[in-house]
Amino acid sequence: MTDILRSWIGSALPDWLIVLIAYLIVTTIVLFYAVGNFILMVWAERRVVARMQDRLGPNRVGPAGLLQPIADAVKMFTKEDIVPRNADRWVHLLAPVVSLAPVAMMLAVIPWGRGWEPIDLNVALLYIVAVSAVSGVGLMMAGWGSNNKFALLGAMRAVAQLVSYEIPAVTALLTVVVLAGGMSLLNLPHLQAGVPIMGATILCNDPAGCSPLLYTTITSFPGSPNEPVQALDLGLGWWVFTPVGLLGFVVFFIAALAEGERTPFDIPEADSEIVAGYMTEYSGMKFATFYIAQYILNFALAALAATAFLGGWQGPGVAALANMGGPWVHAAAALSAFYLLAKIWILFFVMIWLRGAFPRLRVDQLMDFAWKLLLPLALVNIVSASLMVSITQWTGAQWSGLVNLDGFASWQRQLIAVIVTAIINIAATYWILSINQRPAEQEWDEELVVAP
Amino acid sequence: MNILIIILFLVFAVFILVAAIMTVTVKNIVHAALWLISSFFGVGALYLLMEAEFLGVAQVLIYVGAVSILILFAIMLTRDLEGSQNRQLTPRWWIALIVPAALFGVLIVPTVMTHAWQLPPPPPAGQPPTISGAQQIGTAFMREYLLPFEVAAILLLVAMIGAIVVAFEEREQRRRVLTLAEQVRLRRQRQQQVATLPEPAVSAVQPSEATGGET
Repeated sequence: MTDILRSWIGSALPDWLIVLIAYLIVTTIVLFYAVGNFILMVWAERRVVARMQDRLGPNRVGPAGLLQPIADAVKMFTKEDIVPRNADRWVHLLAPVVSLAPVAMMLAVIPWGRGWEPIDLNVALLYIVAVSAVSGVGLMMAGWGSNNKFALLGAMRAVAQLVSYEIPAVTALLTVVVLAGGMSLLNLPHLQAGVPIMGATILCNDPAGCSPLLYTTITSFPGSPNEPVQALDLGLGWWVFTPVGLLGFVVFFIAALAEGERTPFDIPEADSEIVAGYMTEYSGMKFATFYIAQYILNFALAALAATAFLGGWQGPGVAALANMGGPWVHAAAALSAFYLLAKIWILFFVMIWLRGAFPRLRVDQLMDFAWKLLLPLALVNIVSASLMVSITQWTGAQWSGLVNLDGFASWQRQLIAVIVTAIINIAATYWILSINQRPAEQEWDEELVVAP
Repeated sequence: MNILIIILFLVFAVFILVAAIMTVTVKNIVHAALWLISSFFGVGALYLLMEAEFLGVAQVLIYVGAVSILILFAIMLTRDLEGSQNRQLTPRWWIALIVPAALFGVLIVPTVMTHAWQLPPPPPAGQPPTISGAQQIGTAFMREYLLPFEVAAILLLVAMIGAIVVAFEEREQRRRVLTLAEQVRLRRQRQQQVATLPEPAVSAVQPSEATGGET
């Protein structure tokens, strides 16, 4: 964007102003994209849940109720803004802003399509984790500033849940860091080219006979000494097809559900227990801000899960189109953006599906689930990921003579790695699950032994 | 140096200082915690200004995301701290002012007098001179600073075990979380005991029957 503006305006403006304007435009586009998706997500959620519960859902405003979110927005704008008399005014006012801003900042580092990334930060994964942790402060401010016991309880629950589920989420993302050899999100889709399970390891032996529609030049893992190679590329080498990626994806997605406060983890706003949690004392646009923050958080987490494990914008045909050069590169970018959007919406549909299918967890179940199931699985997965990287990439010298895999072709090494990690992950999952399913001893309160 | 960077630095510096001063002067302790958080945020922005992205992000993650939330939790779990009638100054506040000021002076005066206030020359191209990226920090932890790193790890492990020991309950003493119906029944039972006879009415009824009643 900066380059386009520079070519248009040329030297009429100072350089920093051009950069500033360019990033303002990019920010506007990304925010509009997210908010447009938010509107559709609200509508889709209501319609799909209604369908699952054998109802109709909103169907009056516009075709199939599509304009319902706009009617809702008008209602939100015109509602009276109520602030409790004993509320802490400034904290109450700032809380929705503090919870929306970090969520919007998460959108900045996600590659939305091939070559369509707002900024390339080399610590992007850590940045997303850090920024999403800030929204906990906003929730705490909302709960405390409202001067309402339900709001405070809800905020406490929300923050406790956020803090404890951050650990499995970050540990699952560490798998990606190990596999990619870095924390940049920009590289992740490029690394997930190739074919399912095997990745980009089926090489072209005869450079003349390989069609550019099927084979692309892959610069494999950054930091490894491997040369760029011609490999079979269907855009399907997603990490979710390998044992390491699958386990990481499952752990991350469950933790993301908890971070986004989706059912079955919607304890912070359990309406049958604590009204609406930290949002209890909010009305009008302030409430809408919380609502937007929540949906955009889910959108961003789905985009992150898709980028980290489901190949991001990678998909069949993107590489082929990009190889054709010329204007086709733009077509490739558009197709890749469509792939990412489709993946996000499939993940969001799964979230709605879970909401329709599962009841709410209890707080102790929530904590047990994070600490006794997800965290051990994620830790085992890091070991598997390290093995995967070492088997597929290390030379004999790096193994210090322990194992020598130099003689094998890259697809053979990939196959060995997949089998080894599959055995480890399946065994560990089975073991951890069987430990957790052992019935706990019944513990009864001695005092509670009385006939009704 | 770029004039824009100097302006940004001044803005951030003023913001950090104002936030820090508000932290210690504001009467409401939750407001103090929130000002502290904004001060942490400003420090993160300074790191970003120095192009130490990893440090900036880690600052936000650790201080804003974790430490400050723990502070807020601790405040909210403590009673009677939020009152605005709390006194902030003790009668001997001037001693408390002089001692830190003297200590600070001992540190800052020699630094100002003897330090060569020259910016380091730009590093030769193609060679990372400073420890700012994630990779360099990782390498430094595993090579030059291995011992401090390990000591910090052991310290954290000790703290974690200590927290578990503090929070640990013996299995025999652990109580099941009661449902609302059970709590009501328990309270009623205690009231009856107080009203009628001191002898505890312990019977051998199964708990499952006891819970099955009014729900």
